[in-house]
Amino acid sequence: MTIQRTYEEINTKIRSGKAVIVTAEEIIPIVEKKGIEKATEEIDVVTTGTFGPMCSSGAIINFGHSDPPIRMQKVWLNDVEAYAGLAAVDVYLGATQPSESQGMEYGGAHVIEDLISGKKIKLRAISQGTDCYPRREIESYITKESINQAVLFNPRNGYQNYNVAVSTSDRKIYTYMGILLPNIGNANYCTSGQLSPLLNDPQFRTIGIGTRIFLGGTQGYIAWEGTQFYPQTLKDEEGRVIYKGGTLAVIGDLKEMSTDYIRAAIFKGYGVTLVVGIGIPIPILNSEIMKSVSVKDEDIWTEIIDYSFPHLKKPSLGRVNYKQLREGKITVQGKDVFTSPLSSYAKAREIAQKLKEEILKGEFLLQEPIQKFPQESKFKPLLEIH
Amino acid sequence: MLSKKVIFTFSPQNVERPVTYQLIKDYNLWVNILQAKFEPSLGGKLVLELKGEDKQIKEGLNFVRQIGVGIELLEQEVLWDEKKCIDCGACISICPTGVLSLDKETFKLKFDYEKCIVCGNCVEACPLQAIKVIF
Ligand code: SF4
Ligand code: SF4
Repeated sequence: MTIQRTYEEINTKIRSGKAVIVTAEEIIPIVEKKGIEKATEEIDVVTTGTFGPMCSSGAIINFGHSDPPIRMQKVWLNDVEAYAGLAAVDVYLGATQPSESQGMEYGGAHVIEDLISGKKIKLRAISQGTDCYPRREIESYITKESINQAVLFNPRNGYQNYNVAVSTSDRKIYTYMGILLPNIGNANYCTSGQLSPLLNDPQFRTIGIGTRIFLGGTQGYIAWEGTQFYPQTLKDEEGRVIYKGGTLAVIGDLKEMSTDYIRAAIFKGYGVTLVVGIGIPIPILNSEIMKSVSVKDEDIWTEIIDYSFPHLKKPSLGRVNYKQLREGKITVQGKDVFTSPLSSYAKAREIAQKLKEEILKGEFLLQEPIQKFPQESKFKPLLEIH
Repeated sequence: MLSKKVIFTFSPQNVERPVTYQLIKDYNLWVNILQAKFEPSLGGKLVLELKGEDKQIKEGLNFVRQIGVGIELLEQEVLWDEKKCIDCGACISICPTGVLSLDKETFKLKFDYEKCIVCGNCVEACPLQAIKVIF
């Protein structure tokens, strides 16, 4: 008999403490031993996780009104400019915005981390002044307790799959994929592979708008498809499938987050970014979904890309799978090079475990997507029109 | 017993000298090669860890200096702040001597201090500023 489950059935089991939940790593030996059908019968939910640098992140903050009030037109938090072109006291603080006094040493991501950890943040705002908002300047301090809302809203997170970065240049280059040594001296990659959310549901059967997720240590939601969403499936000559380009826009209450699962980071020579922890539970509605979540590192392939090439479409130097990458050494054009993950597998595992425990305790229920992601999407370049 | 890390810089004139062999044989030192880069026509660089009696290390280094090999003592140390570290591994692929790796079971960072030549590569590669070089 083929199993079919609904979200409601799974949630009922979770509420009564009877749901069976494992992580995307733990499911692999189970499926190997029992097969897809039996595993589908036994398991209700599989949890995934990722903890990596996600540059397209930021926070919406509402400071509350001062007396006399000010319609803030330019705002700085610890000298990092936040975009204030929304009403009077709302801003959007971008994670990659550098500080005006410390440059690359501190940025929006650090303000976010400091806010979460309860530190005092210096606020400075200026305005032209209006009849209804006469004030032209304010300097004060805020904390997460003193402000109205602080909502993390990240337009593009959780990349489904990503390139392996190498450089054929004769000098060391500094990229968002870390430092790349000359003449293919190292190789950096950046997903949690078999634990990665969008690689466990590559067709977006259960992940869509409204899905409840683990975000930065608290419960958040998928708000929309991520920007540049372009779920391609490439099949190479040998029939290997490469998933690419699925992304997520996520939202959650910053005040409830923990710096154990969201951190500021600096890529030298590139800039500031936010390391975001995301975990997504995948309901085992049927055996097709079980098949997807049982994916292994050795079955997930990605492309080795030459990042020293200064144009948008960079040359590919071959393909590797995540098992090879995680073993620490790969061969690129006949050369053995060490690999660096950039995305923390230890933390991804911790997040998948934590999410599993929260569901087991009945604290986290599954939410069916309110709407699915678009089936088709175009990835448009920016044309220069004169 | 003392332990010292040193960098020897060879010129084309002395690059052929069997320095490590002599340090072991004549000065009774324990020699561990941490890194070696040689090009016979240009010279080379050797990073070593030496262990032995204070007097013998001094005499051994004196002998090396006499034959015209440049000597630098590595007095610095790297400090890894485990609390800041998120085990992202960004520091691994950039390390010339394979000091850093992820544990095969836990995927947490391992720091094999013995092999470190304090080159500073990992310091600039760590996005969390969890590694520092101190003098
Ligand atoms: S300083 Fe860092 S990169 Fe250099 S040898 Fe030591 S551990 Fe490796
Ligand atoms: S790069 Fe820094 S944070 Fe990442 S594993 Fe190395 S020491 Fe830890």
